[in-house]
Amino acid sequence: MTRGEGATAMGNPNDIKLGVSLYSYQDNYYFHKHDLEGCIAAAAGAGATGFEVFPDAMIPEWPYISDRFVDTFNGWKERYGIACVCVDHFSDTRMWKNRNLTDDDLYERGVMYIKAAAKLGAPAIRLLHEEHLGSSPFFKRDYHLTTSAIAERLLPVCAEYGVMMALECHSPTTVDDPCHEPYLEAAARLNLPYVGLQADFSSYEYCMTSADVGMYERQGATRAILDRVRGAQRQAYFAGKPFEYAEIEAEIEAMKPNEADRRFLRFATRRRGPASYEVLKDYASRLVYIHGKFYDIDENGEVDNMDYAKIMKALVDGGYKGYVVSEFEGNRRMNDAGWCDEVEYVRKHHVLMRKCLGRE
Amino acid sequence: MYDTHILTDEGCRSVWENGRRVGYAVNLTINYYRGLPLSCVDEITLVVDGEPVAPEDMVLQHRDREYPYLAILQDDFPTDFYWRFGEKLRVVVKKPGGIPQGRHHVKLTLGTRRSYTPTMVATCEKTLTFA
Repeated sequence: MTRGEGATAMGNPNDIKLGVSLYSYQDNYYFHKHDLEGCIAAAAGAGATGFEVFPDAMIPEWPYISDRFVDTFNGWKERYGIACVCVDHFSDTRMWKNRNLTDDDLYERGVMYIKAAAKLGAPAIRLLHEEHLGSSPFFKRDYHLTTSAIAERLLPVCAEYGVMMALECHSPTTVDDPCHEPYLEAAARLNLPYVGLQADFSSYEYCMTSADVGMYERQGATRAILDRVRGAQRQAYFAGKPFEYAEIEAEIEAMKPNEADRRFLRFATRRRGPASYEVLKDYASRLVYIHGKFYDIDENGEVDNMDYAKIMKALVDGGYKGYVVSEFEGNRRMNDAGWCDEVEYVRKHHVLMRKCLGRE
Repeated sequence: MYDTHILTDEGCRSVWENGRRVGYAVNLTINYYRGLPLSCVDEITLVVDGEPVAPEDMVLQHRDREYPYLAILQDDFPTDFYWRFGEKLRVVVKKPGGIPQGRHHVKLTLGTRRSYTPTMVATCEKTLTFA
């Protein structure tokens, strides 16, 4: 198929642009195989036209950004023909030893990230909002991250600097979770359309990734149990049914899970299947940014636990216009076993995404 | 994530002044996927050849600045000195006579305070050759 074919009534695959979150190359950066310029070059080399950067990780002067750095950074964008499409915001509520940041402090930090994005020429920040992982935090805490009330105060700042706040809806939450609505409601009420939903493909995992299987096994879990759970998850997905752990629980218990098995079972058995592709399609035209999360790629070039063909089709059919950036998270699951070839994973991921969009 | 890498084998050696060994140094990298302010470091503990290093004997060297370890634990330590992702933080242990040249067993415990995940405490043990 050539570019442009495959357009539907709602959407056109050419409205989707492909990028890389430089997070994907974190081991290359951490172990000094590539500096920031090298990571940008790798993204461009994979075919990306945009990249996302964690300033906290890869901008040497952070939390300050000098004009000299901006000039160098802009030079790289020119040299490699690539745009900076997103800057990651963090809510470091506990950065002081003796007190948590107040809401005023969190607002000020938000302003700092918005200004940083504007200075770097990025149209968006990924906002680390309170409901990033859904309405109930995944560990007990007596403080909050950036709330909708704080985000509302940031909206005029976003308008001034022309920067969108992307609300990353990361598994276990999804784009249609009502917990994200107060942010959108504030933007609508104030007529300041500077906050929008960001999908993260983690919501569309239908089974445990083989990267997790390897990691859990190295942590002492039983391979047969891991394989049985993953196999049952895959079987359920391809049969079009939700995964019900209860159906295999007795069988797993008979295999006498050890402590390491119990640790992974606590996580792996919660997932019943991917979030709805139909809902993703319904929301697609309203999404402002997307993390194309992945952990491993199988021998057929497919992401081993997400149905990229269906996810990308939902985005195209729903009329998504914007970036899908590779967010490779296999590194942190694999690097205990040796070097993880992030550049190669991202390259393959881009081949897959281009294929899904009819560009290969 | 990076637990097995936080204690690097780079720059392990005695530290000298005026021809005398006055201590020794190791270099650490962060146990997180991004940088954090030094104010978010909750713990650096070193045990060398089975002997715990006294906290007051440790000095951190970071981007041409030097901080006593105990200073970064204080409530009012600034939040804008970032220990960057992948950047080496040099820990100098003050010890007259330095460390005998050769191999030594080092155990590091590093705790960093985050906000959207709990505090992470990583340990890393290695036999390192000190120059």
